[in-house]
Amino acid sequence: MATRRRTQVWAMGAVAVAVVMVTTVLGFGLGHRGALASGQFVQRPAPTFVLPGLDRRAESTVRLAKLRGHVVVVNFWASWCAECRSEQAALNRTWQRFRDSGVVVVGVNFQDAAGDARQYAATSGGSYPVVSDSDSSAALAYGIRGVPETYVVDPKGRLVDRFVGPVTYAQLSRRINDVLSKGDR
Amino acid sequence: MTRRRWNAVDAVVVVALMAALVALATVALADRSARPTADEQAHDIAASLHCPVCKDLSAADSPAPLARQMRAQIRERLADGAGPAEIRQEFVASYGTSVLMSPPDHGWGRAVNLAPLALLAGAALVGAGVLRRGLRSPTPGGPNGESLQLDDESRRRLEDALAQLSREEP
Amino acid sequence: MAHLGQAGLVIALVLAGYGAVAAFLGGRTGRPAFVESARRTSFAVLGVVVVVNAAMLVALLGDDFGIRYVAENSSQGTPTFFKVLSLWAADDGSLLLWNLILAGFIGAVAWRFRKSHPPTYPYALGVLFAVQLFYLLLINGPARPFATLAAAPADGRGPSPLLQNHPLMAVHPPFLYLGFIGFTVPFAFGIAALLAGPGSDQWVTLIRRWTLAVWCFLTIGLSLGALWSYSVLGWGGYWAWDPVENVALLPWLVSTAFLHSVMLQQRRGMAALWNLVLVIAAFALMTFGTFLTRGNVLTSIHAFTESGVGPAYLGFLVVVLLGGFGLVAWRMPSLRSPARLDSVLTREAAIVGNNVLLLSATAIILLGTTAPLIVEAVSGERISVGRPYFENALAPVLFLLLLLVGTAPMLPWRATRRSRRLAHLRLPVGVAAVVTVAGAFAGARHIEAAAGFGLAALVIVTNGQELLAGVLRARRRHQRGALRRGGRRYGGLLVHVGLGVLAAGIIASSGLGEQSEVTLAEGQSVTFGGHELRYDGLTTTREPQRTVLTTRLSVTDGPGAATELLTPRLNLYPAASEPIGSPSIDRGPVWDLYASVIGLQRNGESATFRLYHNPGVNWVWVGALLMVIGGLTAGWSRRRVERMPHGQPDPRRERVPAGIGAS
Repeated sequence: MATRRRTQVWAMGAVAVAVVMVTTVLGFGLGHRGALASGQFVQRPAPTFVLPGLDRRAESTVRLAKLRGHVVVVNFWASWCAECRSEQAALNRTWQRFRDSGVVVVGVNFQDAAGDARQYAATSGGSYPVVSDSDSSAALAYGIRGVPETYVVDPKGRLVDRFVGPVTYAQLSRRINDVLSKGDR
Repeated sequence: MTRRRWNAVDAVVVVALMAALVALATVALADRSARPTADEQAHDIAASLHCPVCKDLSAADSPAPLARQMRAQIRERLADGAGPAEIRQEFVASYGTSVLMSPPDHGWGRAVNLAPLALLAGAALVGAGVLRRGLRSPTPGGPNGESLQLDDESRRRLEDALAQLSREEP
Repeated sequence: MAHLGQAGLVIALVLAGYGAVAAFLGGRTGRPAFVESARRTSFAVLGVVVVVNAAMLVALLGDDFGIRYVAENSSQGTPTFFKVLSLWAADDGSLLLWNLILAGFIGAVAWRFRKSHPPTYPYALGVLFAVQLFYLLLINGPARPFATLAAAPADGRGPSPLLQNHPLMAVHPPFLYLGFIGFTVPFAFGIAALLAGPGSDQWVTLIRRWTLAVWCFLTIGLSLGALWSYSVLGWGGYWAWDPVENVALLPWLVSTAFLHSVMLQQRRGMAALWNLVLVIAAFALMTFGTFLTRGNVLTSIHAFTESGVGPAYLGFLVVVLLGGFGLVAWRMPSLRSPARLDSVLTREAAIVGNNVLLLSATAIILLGTTAPLIVEAVSGERISVGRPYFENALAPVLFLLLLLVGTAPMLPWRATRRSRRLAHLRLPVGVAAVVTVAGAFAGARHIEAAAGFGLAALVIVTNGQELLAGVLRARRRHQRGALRRGGRRYGGLLVHVGLGVLAAGIIASSGLGEQSEVTLAEGQSVTFGGHELRYDGLTTTREPQRTVLTTRLSVTDGPGAATELLTPRLNLYPAASEPIGSPSIDRGPVWDLYASVIGLQRNGESATFRLYHNPGVNWVWVGALLMVIGGLTAGWSRRRVERMPHGQPDPRRERVPAGIGAS
């Protein structure tokens, strides 16, 4: 019955190997749960945009190309987005702390009704420029999957970081300091 | 056993089959030579891209506003003269390769694209192997492998009974 | 309520543990007392789980917001009907339903074999209890539906808006669960057969009807899910190749293959090993599906909230795979039965073909669904696999399958003599050819559509012809019981006819339709799909849990013709960030006119609509219904009533190979 035993061993070995492989892959999937949703981040030139201000005044239009030489924080938000409210304080603080270092915070309104957006902006306590991306061309160019999402652009016009979900002051300030210090060298 | 002779019904069926083949060929030719309209092209491109804010719907199917913007953008770019591959690449630049609804045709993506064919071929080979082994097997034996010996009369009665069962039972 | 529920779950856990031990001991030692005790325990477990579910229901209906699950999934303003639905709306609650159905199945098995049982029964019961034990551990451990909140809120959050939009949500999960969980029974008997050793291959006979019933439930559950997707979600389609949808399809495909290959074992004594592999695979795929759905591995519309159950499911899956396939590997030498084929033109060969195609489809869908995960694990590259991939990959498999289903019923078992049946194929082939030509003329744009219709016609006529012939023959001979005796065959033929109709529907709706997006001002019309549609304005209705904006589209076919009204809606729920649309559908025998509203401008002065003209969608539902009726017919058939000697298993019967004469 040697062949019988050999068949058994081969078969059980095959089963064990297959199960180990399956477990490894699925275990990986479990461990990397959120990653699949947030999309890739690759350093690339920041997509340029020309967006009108929320207040519809000509001088409120923001041209990203003109902000070369500055660190720009591009924050996508909407008035219907509950989570956007929770990061508002962080954005305000970032603006207050870093505006004198030449950092510009720009709020980009995404898929929103103009009236609701203006009302939100009026009560947000932020004084940084706010623009409206009415045809979502900027959102598509940046690769938005939802709001809030925040991008950091370095003075050379490259995207250097991306935050999906509400951003904290600590995260922003760390990244901004990082970029600023590289620029000094 | 005698072969049945061909009759009129057989001829009709053969003619119908030939007509069907001709019809299929015609459709295939018409399909191949038809140039897609701008709308159809836009739809095809949108159908090959995920709607980024939806779960598993394509940009063509999704009612979400972002998907509508994508469709509008695709139409604009087509009007500008950009080709489908270029337009897709622009979205990939923003969203990564996972925005494509099918894996790209290089690297691992190519393996994934070729896998179904390989799986089907593999399964067919296994099936063919099973059939061959079954055909080559000796006469049916008993449960412990012994062979059953039947005299001709019993064999004939057994075959008749089996044929009867075949006709009536699943 | 929380305490009652929690206590009940612990009691059920202990009982299930005892039941498993008693059953396995009964199997090992052969003492009937253990087996009887285990049997009675199953009723006790069922009773306790019923009470626990009732406790949750009472808590939901009574607005007991001290319980976290109630606070998160129900609210005071929720209508009673939807409060009941909330029982299975979210992960933890649906585990309660899961346990209930599982306990119900175990109880049913215990009841069915109350007078006499086969030798493998104790082990089967043990396996069933072991599975129940896992799910009870889950509900007592990582997922706790009766967890309480420190401070009960005044009102609950309410169910997710998407879930409370339509009553179809009520029936889709229960049927799906019945189908999924039902697989545990054939699996348990298969494992029991492996544990008991060679010679116990009557298990396929035992569980034939169970498997058919489970298959019917799963078919219904999948169809309802597709129907919900089409009628409620508003994107104009019924299957999005969502990972959760895909994994629900996998056990269905494997169980269909299994239902065919058991015929090989019952009639010819072949494929014993293969059937065990199939039944373990079906159960493993079901567990894998549960893992994927609830373990939050992939994102999907069905994604339940985060919970710690992922690793638990993975662990269970590993146990199932190692245990099940390990047992098969261990028993492999004694299980291999030689395949004996007379020729390729036999039904045995066709069944091999059936298994090849169905399992290829399973492998393709499994691969496509897990490919993003695997590729990322191995290389870090992010790819996505969506609808075009699956449609392209599965089209050839579907076509080959239709070809097989359209010709195989003609084939005899064991071609002892050249069959005259091939002549019977003339009518189906002729009709198929005519349909192909007609399809080409009628404007099928692609070769796949025309050929596909032809193949579907082939399937319908071949199987329909056989069905009709059989029924007429039985009536002519005044054989009363013949219909019931032949129920298995006629049921199978009807399922095939249903498959043909379903396939025709799938082919028609996958690419022969039109769609359009249009913004209309009030009073403005557009021509679409041969109709004229005019936007007649907006009405607003306030309901306790939502505000409904209803647009009116009047549809005319021409001057003087009758006017239909389509009313696509936007529902505004306070909890949702965006409005949830409800489409409006005018269903016809061939065409559906489908409208959904996706945007409103200036308080309804103008509205943006998505319009679809979909052919063949109703054939999908009809086809699925025919398949279910066929499955029920096949299960209802009774060739010979087998009764085993009272109380004890008959060792002689177990030795008879499952060949001629077995039912």
